[in-house]
Amino acid sequence: MNKSSSSDMTPFWTAVWSIVWKDLQIEKHTRQTLSVMIMFSLVTVVMFNFALEARLDAARNVATGLLWATILLAGTLGLNRGMALERENQTIDAILIAPISRSAIFLGKVIGITIFSLMLEAVLVVVFIIFFNKPLWRPPVLIVLVLGTIGYVAAGVLVTSMTIQTRTREVLLPVLLLPLSLPLVLAAATAVASYMFPQLPTWGEVQSPILLVIIYDILMLTAGFLTYHYVVES
Amino acid sequence: MELTRLNRTVRNLNWAAFIALIIALGFVFFFAPVERTMGNVQRIFYFHVGSAWVGAVAFFVALLGGVFYLRQPDRKWDTVSLASVEIGLVFLSMAIAAGSIWGRPAWNTWWTWTPRLTLVTIAWLTYAAYFMLRGAIEDEERRGRFAAVYTIAAFVTIIMSYLSVRILRDIHPTVFGGTLESAQGAAEGLQDFAPGLESARMGITLTVCVIAFSLLYAAWLANRIRLQQMMEEANRLKMRVATRLQGGHE
Repeated sequence: MNKSSSSDMTPFWTAVWSIVWKDLQIEKHTRQTLSVMIMFSLVTVVMFNFALEARLDAARNVATGLLWATILLAGTLGLNRGMALERENQTIDAILIAPISRSAIFLGKVIGITIFSLMLEAVLVVVFIIFFNKPLWRPPVLIVLVLGTIGYVAAGVLVTSMTIQTRTREVLLPVLLLPLSLPLVLAAATAVASYMFPQLPTWGEVQSPILLVIIYDILMLTAGFLTYHYVVES
Repeated sequence: MELTRLNRTVRNLNWAAFIALIIALGFVFFFAPVERTMGNVQRIFYFHVGSAWVGAVAFFVALLGGVFYLRQPDRKWDTVSLASVEIGLVFLSMAIAAGSIWGRPAWNTWWTWTPRLTLVTIAWLTYAAYFMLRGAIEDEERRGRFAAVYTIAAFVTIIMSYLSVRILRDIHPTVFGGTLESAQGAAEGLQDFAPGLESARMGITLTVCVIAFSLLYAAWLANRIRLQQMMEEANRLKMRVATRLQGGHE
């Protein structure tokens, strides 16, 4: 490391992909994170249904909001699990010693947890289509879901890496992360909601919320990229 | 023990803020004209915009404090950041309270979940959580570092709320840089109760208020930083006494 850093460092994308690959391999063998996330969100959906049962129409109208709320809540589980594993197995120390840039760790983690969240969303979309009879299969809806998830996970990885090192740990994460990601969810839910009518909206109608989601993604990814090495340094 | 006395900068700022606020009140009540559709209730608008403006400035200062702290881990930047978030939260609460009082006659409700009001609530929660994060970390250096990173991430909510209200449709009037949206809103009849700046006198009053609130912010910031330094000084002295007592009398 004394010499110029770039030549000694593992190439950026190689590092990113090996972290993603590692997380996917762990998940393939343990199947802990994803199964917990899916079970939790199914319970949440049933619980919401129970709360709104008296009026199914009401439940249908708030379906997009419910979808995002479920994703957020299940997401905190996935994030906590994803980062806690690194600590429990002390792999985080190994990763920090390895000659890879901190931004690569950040991006690797974001991609890994985004993949888990997208798998969860695939299940959730089917469940919501069945339960609430909403056209969530429309391609623009799926794109907004992907975009929203990226921003949420980017904020999540940054915050979880901090909360995991504090005294209160898991308890602190939702308190910090949920308000931080709500501006994104507000825009994303608005965008998804406008696709819930039989008639497709024009681009002009959905352009602004989708733009906001993309701006949030860029801002959070940049913030994480630039500050992540201050978070994992011990 | 210089700290126990108010130093000159702090004292001058205190007086400047005090006088500026009195002048601002004079402008609001005696100089600004009575608004056409809303009458006297509209006068709270100057207070509301002033505190909302300073809230945003305070959070930006907190962000700068965070960035400087990360570049050069000096305790003073952490103190600036902490003080600024605290004061920003107070100003944001004042803006929300004033807006709510204005909303009662204007929208016939204290509160409505439009994008802007929702986003302000979110920003408030985000910055309130800042103290939770600080409280959960014992190590001083790490607390400063994490708090700095958090002020940077949290400012995204401020940017988002600024952009959202200019992009999404809302009942709330836009004062700064929102000509396009207010024209759109007016066309759709959303801006019926927009206070708007009907005359130059309103513009002048608003400017005076913003300046007065900015001075108040500066004064509070100076006082809060001084308080923090005194707290740290007191802790140091306590530690010294404790070690002295443990070591036995001499």
